[in-house]
Amino acid sequence: GQAGGEGSRSGSCTGLRGKSAERWRRCRPLLVGKNRLVSCRARRMCVCPGPRRIGIPVRSSSLPLFSDAMPAPTQLFFPLIRNCELSRIYGTACYCHHKHLCCSSSYIPQSRLRYTPHPAYATFCRPKENWWQYTQGRRYASTPQKFYLTPPQVNSILKANEYSFKVPEFDGKNVSSILGFDSNQLPANAPIEDRRSAATCLQTRGMLLGVFDGHAGCACSQAVSERLFYYIAVSLLPHETLLEIENAVESGRALLPILQWHKHPNDYFSKEASKLYFNSLRTYWQELIDLNTGESTDIDVKEALINAFKRLDNDISLEAQVGDPNSFLNYLVLRVAFSGATACVAHVDGVDLHVANTGDSRAMLGVQEEDGSWSAVTLSNDHNAQNERELERLKLEHPKSEAKSVVKQDRLLGLLMPFRAFGDVKFKWSIDLQKRVIESGPDQLNDNEYTKFIPPNYHTPPYLTAEPEVTYHRLRPQDKFLVLATDGLWETMHRQDVVRIVGEYLTGMHHQQPIAVGGYKVTLGQMHGLLTERRTKMSSVFEDQNAATHLIRHAVGNNEFGTVDHERLSKMLSLPEELARMYRDDITIIVVQFNSHVVGAYQNQE
Amino acid sequence: MMFYRLLSIVGRQRASPGWQNWSSARNSTSAAEARSMALPTQAQVVICGGGITGTSVAYHLSKMGWKDIVLLEQGRLAAGSTRFCAGILSTARHLTIEQKMADYSNKLYHQLEQETGIQTGYTRTGSIFLAQTQDRLISLKRINAGLNVIGIPSEIISPKKVAELHHLLNVHDLVGAMHVPEDAVVSSADVALALASAASQNAIVDADGRIYIRNWQGGILSGGFEKNPKPIFTEGKNQLEIQNLQEDWDHFEPLLSSLLRRMPELETLEIMKLVNCPETFTPDMRCIMGESPAVQGYFVLAGMNSAGLSFGGGAGKYLAEWMVHGYPSENVWELDLKRFGALQSSRTFLRHRVMEVMPLMYDLKVPRWDFQTGRQLRTSPLYDRLDAQGARWMEKHGFERPKYFVPPDKDLLALEQSKTFYKPDWFDIVESEVKCCKEAVCVIDMSSFTKFEITSTGDQALEVLQYLFSNDLDVPVGHIVHTGMLNEGGGYENDCSIARLNKRSFFMISPTDQQVHCWAWLKKHMPKDSNLLLEDVTWKYTALNLIGPRAVDVLSELSYAPMTPDHFPSLFCKEMSVGYANGIRVMSMTHTGEPGFMLYIPIEYALHVYNEVMSVGQKYGIRNAGYYALRSLRIEKFFAFWGQDINNLTTPLECGRESRVKLEKGMDFIGRDALLQQKQNGVYKRLTMFILDDHDSDLDLWPWWGEPIYRNGQYVGKTTSSAYSYSLERHVCLGFVHNFSEDTGEEQVVTADFINRGEYEIDIAGYRFQAKAKLYPVASLFTQKRRKDDMELSDLHGK
Repeated sequence: GQAGGEGSRSGSCTGLRGKSAERWRRCRPLLVGKNRLVSCRARRMCVCPGPRRIGIPVRSSSLPLFSDAMPAPTQLFFPLIRNCELSRIYGTACYCHHKHLCCSSSYIPQSRLRYTPHPAYATFCRPKENWWQYTQGRRYASTPQKFYLTPPQVNSILKANEYSFKVPEFDGKNVSSILGFDSNQLPANAPIEDRRSAATCLQTRGMLLGVFDGHAGCACSQAVSERLFYYIAVSLLPHETLLEIENAVESGRALLPILQWHKHPNDYFSKEASKLYFNSLRTYWQELIDLNTGESTDIDVKEALINAFKRLDNDISLEAQVGDPNSFLNYLVLRVAFSGATACVAHVDGVDLHVANTGDSRAMLGVQEEDGSWSAVTLSNDHNAQNERELERLKLEHPKSEAKSVVKQDRLLGLLMPFRAFGDVKFKWSIDLQKRVIESGPDQLNDNEYTKFIPPNYHTPPYLTAEPEVTYHRLRPQDKFLVLATDGLWETMHRQDVVRIVGEYLTGMHHQQPIAVGGYKVTLGQMHGLLTERRTKMSSVFEDQNAATHLIRHAVGNNEFGTVDHERLSKMLSLPEELARMYRDDITIIVVQFNSHVVGAYQNQE
Repeated sequence: MMFYRLLSIVGRQRASPGWQNWSSARNSTSAAEARSMALPTQAQVVICGGGITGTSVAYHLSKMGWKDIVLLEQGRLAAGSTRFCAGILSTARHLTIEQKMADYSNKLYHQLEQETGIQTGYTRTGSIFLAQTQDRLISLKRINAGLNVIGIPSEIISPKKVAELHHLLNVHDLVGAMHVPEDAVVSSADVALALASAASQNAIVDADGRIYIRNWQGGILSGGFEKNPKPIFTEGKNQLEIQNLQEDWDHFEPLLSSLLRRMPELETLEIMKLVNCPETFTPDMRCIMGESPAVQGYFVLAGMNSAGLSFGGGAGKYLAEWMVHGYPSENVWELDLKRFGALQSSRTFLRHRVMEVMPLMYDLKVPRWDFQTGRQLRTSPLYDRLDAQGARWMEKHGFERPKYFVPPDKDLLALEQSKTFYKPDWFDIVESEVKCCKEAVCVIDMSSFTKFEITSTGDQALEVLQYLFSNDLDVPVGHIVHTGMLNEGGGYENDCSIARLNKRSFFMISPTDQQVHCWAWLKKHMPKDSNLLLEDVTWKYTALNLIGPRAVDVLSELSYAPMTPDHFPSLFCKEMSVGYANGIRVMSMTHTGEPGFMLYIPIEYALHVYNEVMSVGQKYGIRNAGYYALRSLRIEKFFAFWGQDINNLTTPLECGRESRVKLEKGMDFIGRDALLQQKQNGVYKRLTMFILDDHDSDLDLWPWWGEPIYRNGQYVGKTTSSAYSYSLERHVCLGFVHNFSEDTGEEQVVTADFINRGEYEIDIAGYRFQAKAKLYPVASLFTQKRRKDDMELSDLHGK
């Protein structure tokens, strides 16, 4: 173990590259004993340690080792985890990892890229012989000790990031179509790359909710989670309000508040950049003021959302090109621009629901049918290789000669899984610009192989856009809730199951499928047995006060019967952070609950 | 089918008592019929709602001679919650008035069948109340004792006897039960219809299991009150929704489990139907009865808390009496609509409270129980300060009041669970507070009391008060008068202290829950005179009660004014400065008989005055105290309290307050004639103080209220309140003694001699304790001498 740790450092620098990834993809359901552990997305996800979104071609020759070694550690994984003693090895590995980060800052710290194999992983695969001996020995020589988390421990992990917001009720006069929302995150990356935001628009009506899935680090998703809603809110503001705010800035008066944030204590704002961000935002509204033709037209939400997305991405790009005299900020804006993030944002105002989506997070509407059953209505399209229209779009946007290279192995230029994203200037800037910025940039950036690497077949940038696809839905009383979640959820659970689990959770068990005796001959004893069984089944519901937590519990802990298996849940959550990413992605979920009474009242008004 | 039956009944109805039923056009089936009969343009009484209560009121009104009645019903008669009623008529209630209503209903339904010829399904099956715990058994014993003295036979029986009475019952987990043989089952819808026209098994109530069981058409009917009720109609939906309630088996599961545990053999029975029916509940689990304080002639009888059938008959009778005579024949303050104000009608409050109230149906009722929801609505500005110092709170009329203060070293968790029929855990805490009141000085926040100001340009205020109150209010400015606001019968509508602020202005202090009632009464009797102003100033003043021999020192230090009795006699009121604050109304009374002062402080000064009092008071050993200490102090000195000990059927003469009545004050006042007559004839009941002799406060059940009083072995009345006196080291109960004729049971005059020449016992849950009866408080409690010889070092310690 120790020796392996050493090896990992050198290994990680030269890199285990490439086609290995392809092999990884083949080993789909990883089976350990009877427990079906991970059903990888068949072609969407790479089960390799490290990044799944971006792949980079090979330069090194460590391929055979890598691919050969692959099946063994995954299969033996659980016996290992169970064994307490082995945590020592993980300890070493983690230690190496951190040291690694401290010593060489040649990486964008938060990112783990495919071409830099995970130190922990290297720990296991490098010293091949030792590894086998060791694990085999453990496997047959002794009974593995149990290494389970207790239910309270599981709960404290699951609930660490949960947040609930209830729209205040004014003595029954609540007119918001939203009752409130639950949100939660479960990290797989360390630190987590997902972000979430929720805010009420104060100068216009409506509420904004969004999930952001970062890749190549969390810098971009963090920035988008802080800034996007301001851009949207500003886009929605009427001319007079913009003027009022601008005048207030000019004359140094107090500004009108625009957003009321609903944040978990862990959802932070970067203090250092807030001035820079404000100036960019101000430039935006100044332009909006200048553009105003004088005729007061109703602001179109769809247009506002599209403008806001594009404008923010543009600002991210510009800020990186211009740089900042403050070296910390300068590095920050570059990290933001060179990392990426998808965004899925919902704007709810009365019965008007707009979803703006960029990338492969998803918005799903939970609809309760008349018979009480639940059905899922997808309100967003994934922007990835599974979307024919996206493939079509990319082909149309680039010359025919690139038809084969623009999407390769279901990835943009063979590298990036989402076909739309914020940041990721590597897929947007010209080669010249990239080189110029990197050269003039700080050393950390210059030393980073990932940033320096130019995607193959890079002829006609931009290849990537942050422009969202906006869908509109008019809420009906049967639309009970909206689930916004990053692909970490959707790759483990079918949308129908997601909606059913949330629906049953929110309405309590009695709505799931009410029992009616009507006409049948049922004895009290039979009924009692049936009811007891139903109650046991539903008891897991009561552990959670948060629909998003409940969903994560299912996403991570569901066994083949669709019920939460504590043993499995415990195993999944006790994965050391170095390995968690192998078995799951970051999961971020927001469940918005609608007020059917209010929605119904809107309907009746018209 | 129901409809046809209804029609035939209505036809006959019109022929006999002469009042009519009108179905509104809302119900489609009856719409055609209804339209064919035009509604009369006017009627003496219009009753809305044709369930068991509405029909009962109509029945009793017509019995009393009111015939011009229109009864409106949106659907069919007896179609609302009456239709779904389980039909168990049970007299086992906690409140005497509820017992009486249920008993009357029972007798009424019994004779109704003969009177009208309509089958009511009345069967005197008896009922059995099961106890799974000792506490539940104590509760049943208390009810049992109460039932027996009002002539309802009942007995506590062993589990073995239960098994004999009902062979299907599993009795292994029972500790006992109460058998009420005359309880009955009826068909509630039929009773309603019968009212409109003018060998079997015991019913079982397993309160610990939250269920009831009765025989029903050859089968079993079982239901219950779940722990997790689902509030409906809080958005004000149409009552027709009742028909659409779905059966909810999962919700019923705990009750079914409980039923099968109680009667395992039922497992093989087939299910006929699960009925999910709504019930109305009130914020305090008592029904709402009486005339609206805002609209004269608008009477309400509603919110039966799922006891509509049991109470319907009796409640209908009392309301009919109220309408016809102006007051019911029994004291119904506990049910009076005016015990609530606008503050209890917020939707959120109701929604939250109803969720708490409903499960209480079958929860154990223990002494000094407090609601958990709908709290912290009205608070004193000192709430946070007191809370931080360990205050534990109770609520009255929405106002938070401190019960006692938990010292920092006490285990809080244990205290919160002190729900017991025996000695409570706070005993020592209250003892130290009482001791501090006796030896040093304590502060009690008493801001919840209702405070009115009556002012006028001339003598109007004095005149109207002289007419409304029995004591003479034409006193020098600055004097405080304890007086009653009496009704025509001489009974207390309110008991208050009135300070004459100046010649034309009076300050009136009444119990907390008088806010609506007293206001309504004053408004009703005050002449419409724009020069006479009545103002509710409850919210304007924070009231601090400084109790104890050192209160005078604290106050004189804070006001730089001598406060000794020579300068500031008892029952005196003066505006003065306390600390920096001006305009504090200082009154030399404490509501306890102890020396001390009430400070009425304009709220913005409250925190300042409190802080000053506490900091100056430190060297005199000051500490916070709560209402439990106050209660102990007042009860041991025989201070009766309105709403608890005395009510609108109690006259001053019946509670030894002749001195507070000035029959010859030179003008008439409401109730004077009745009092004059009573003075001549003598009283028929007398408030008496009892000191329990052989009661061990550590081991025996504690008295609460409602315990039967026995004189020479004969039942003579019930207690109204009780407290432990730390000075007498005995329990003290207050209660009324009647003199029932041994032959006829008729009430006879009660003389002092009658009281004094009896041997008394108080029955606590079936155990009788000897008690000494007193007509006047124990004199030694009033001596304020500090005995120098008894001083010791510990007196120098801070309290």
